[in-house]
Amino acid sequence: MLRTPGRVAGVVIIVGFAVMGLIGPWIYPHNLPVNANAIYAGPSLAHPLGTDFEGTDVLALLVTGARYVLLSALIAGLVAVVVGTTIGLVAGYLRGLTDLGLSRFTDFALTVPGIPLLVVLSTVYRFTSPYMMGVVLGLTGWGGLARAVRSQALSLRERPYLEAARGLGLPLRHILWRELLPNIAPYVAMNLLLAVIGSIYAETGLFFLGVLPAQVNNWGVMLNLAVFSAGAIGSPQALTYLLAPLVSILLLTLGIVLLLDAVDEIFNPRLRTL
Amino acid sequence: MVSASPPIAEPQSTGRRADARKRRLIGVGRRLGARIVAALVMIWAVATLTFFLVHALPGNPVQVQYETLLSHGVPPAQALKETRIIYGFVSHEPVVNQYGSYLWQLLHLNLGQSISYSGVSVSHLVLAAAPWTVILVLSGLVVSFLLGVLAGAVAAVRRTSKLGDLLSISGSLLHGIPQFVMAVLLAYVFTTLLPVFPFGAPYDITVIPGWNLAYIGSLVSHAVLPVFAYALSSYGGWMLSMKSSVVSVLGDDFVLAAELRGLKPLTQLRYVARNALLPLFTVFALSIGFMFGGSIFIEDVFDYPGLGHLLLSSISARDYPLMSGTFLLITVAVILSNLLADLLYTFIDPRVRGQAS
Repeated sequence: MLRTPGRVAGVVIIVGFAVMGLIGPWIYPHNLPVNANAIYAGPSLAHPLGTDFEGTDVLALLVTGARYVLLSALIAGLVAVVVGTTIGLVAGYLRGLTDLGLSRFTDFALTVPGIPLLVVLSTVYRFTSPYMMGVVLGLTGWGGLARAVRSQALSLRERPYLEAARGLGLPLRHILWRELLPNIAPYVAMNLLLAVIGSIYAETGLFFLGVLPAQVNNWGVMLNLAVFSAGAIGSPQALTYLLAPLVSILLLTLGIVLLLDAVDEIFNPRLRTL
Repeated sequence: MVSASPPIAEPQSTGRRADARKRRLIGVGRRLGARIVAALVMIWAVATLTFFLVHALPGNPVQVQYETLLSHGVPPAQALKETRIIYGFVSHEPVVNQYGSYLWQLLHLNLGQSISYSGVSVSHLVLAAAPWTVILVLSGLVVSFLLGVLAGAVAAVRRTSKLGDLLSISGSLLHGIPQFVMAVLLAYVFTTLLPVFPFGAPYDITVIPGWNLAYIGSLVSHAVLPVFAYALSSYGGWMLSMKSSVVSVLGDDFVLAAELRGLKPLTQLRYVARNALLPLFTVFALSIGFMFGGSIFIEDVFDYPGLGHLLLSSISARDYPLMSGTFLLITVAVILSNLLADLLYTFIDPRVRGQAS
């Protein structure tokens, strides 16, 4: 594990952001530090990442914004993986009419473009709670996994050990969760991480578009205010302000990708070096 | 494309050949028909979803519209008629009737009427916005596809050299960058820090639209950043899949045969590229559809008046008929592109055609 610095870096990045999300609201329990005399200030000791268009400390914005992003992305990933795996396993194992129905449903979920759907949904629900956001993101993002799991279940169900399980008259629940699932667990774990990345993009993107309420503070809202309200794109002084959320999104993604690599190597015997 | 793949079989007599061709044609026809029916069912499902989304909107905008008309002194019968023109249904009827009425309007390609652009039909607005998205989407897709495929082929052939490594790293790095991040970065770097390109709007307002050089030049220079924002954020995907596709084709027997026959390296590369490109074509056609949904970010950042821009502005204006109409059209565009991708694949890959019968 320690031999590959990439994985360590990935873990460090993710732990760093997790700590940010956990203790962020503690460090700044009340109002964020605002310095009206320093608008668009460059990096300094008092403001390591500079200030925004109102003089708010960018680092403080970044730290307090982490919780929403991480929490909803994690929930979204979990929901997507649970729904996708269940539908895929049931469809692939049972085949027949169940498979036909579930596959059509999956096709439908895959066809409706996610971002426009979420944009329209945001007029129906207000996503002020990260939990709600996570669940909705998860419910729109399970299609690909379901399709992949289904095809794996289709091939696994013909294996002798599953024939044995059927012969023993084991209940369906046992076959699905105890016999089939462990075989695809590594694949599902990798997809959890991919779903988390996708959710980070989708939610920060939605907040960036400004269709979601901006009462909450997160990286997407930061970017939205910077680009559409403060006109940061037009002002060269806004460099750190504009880059801070962008780099955070990219860094977090990089951390997850590195972790993904590690998971892949741990589970995939062909890639194992030890 | 077709000539590069090995012939399927050499039937002995012309009669049998004609027979086989007929059977194959029937197979293609059946496949085509099934796909078209599936696409129609999908469109119906999306229309249903859109109807219930409008229904679930908070504050019942359909009823509000009716009451607003009443309060403006419009007689009830007239108000009902106008509400029906705007939304395609009125909230006084049972839901089944509302749904039926909505679908009936859609069958006549009637998406209702916009509220914020009073009196203008939604179909008119949507059709005016669609070309911008199509231009943006297609040029972005073509640029990223060409760049990615070229880089991928080079990275695969030269995979042991520094150049190959560099290209692979560029693919992995760019692969992870979401479109809105890329759009904001490009806009910031190339319009503010290093002002080379104009920012926002599809063309200069001072230029008169028409077939003149100034207008076309303005269009192109304004399109460079949005197109590259898309192209760079999807370049990584093309590059990585082309690389793995080329690597897998390089192991095929026909490559060895070509080498043994002493064909020129360029000819060999052409053989390899044609076969490696095949799986990428489906993804290419599929991503046309996905780009309709994904162009929202880029259109928003660069103020490009396409479908995504229309969807967003309809939401901020609380123009729900326009919102549902735009959403429906974006989704139908995705469904039709998927259908096209499927049909295209049937025609360019002879193996799929063979299986059809």
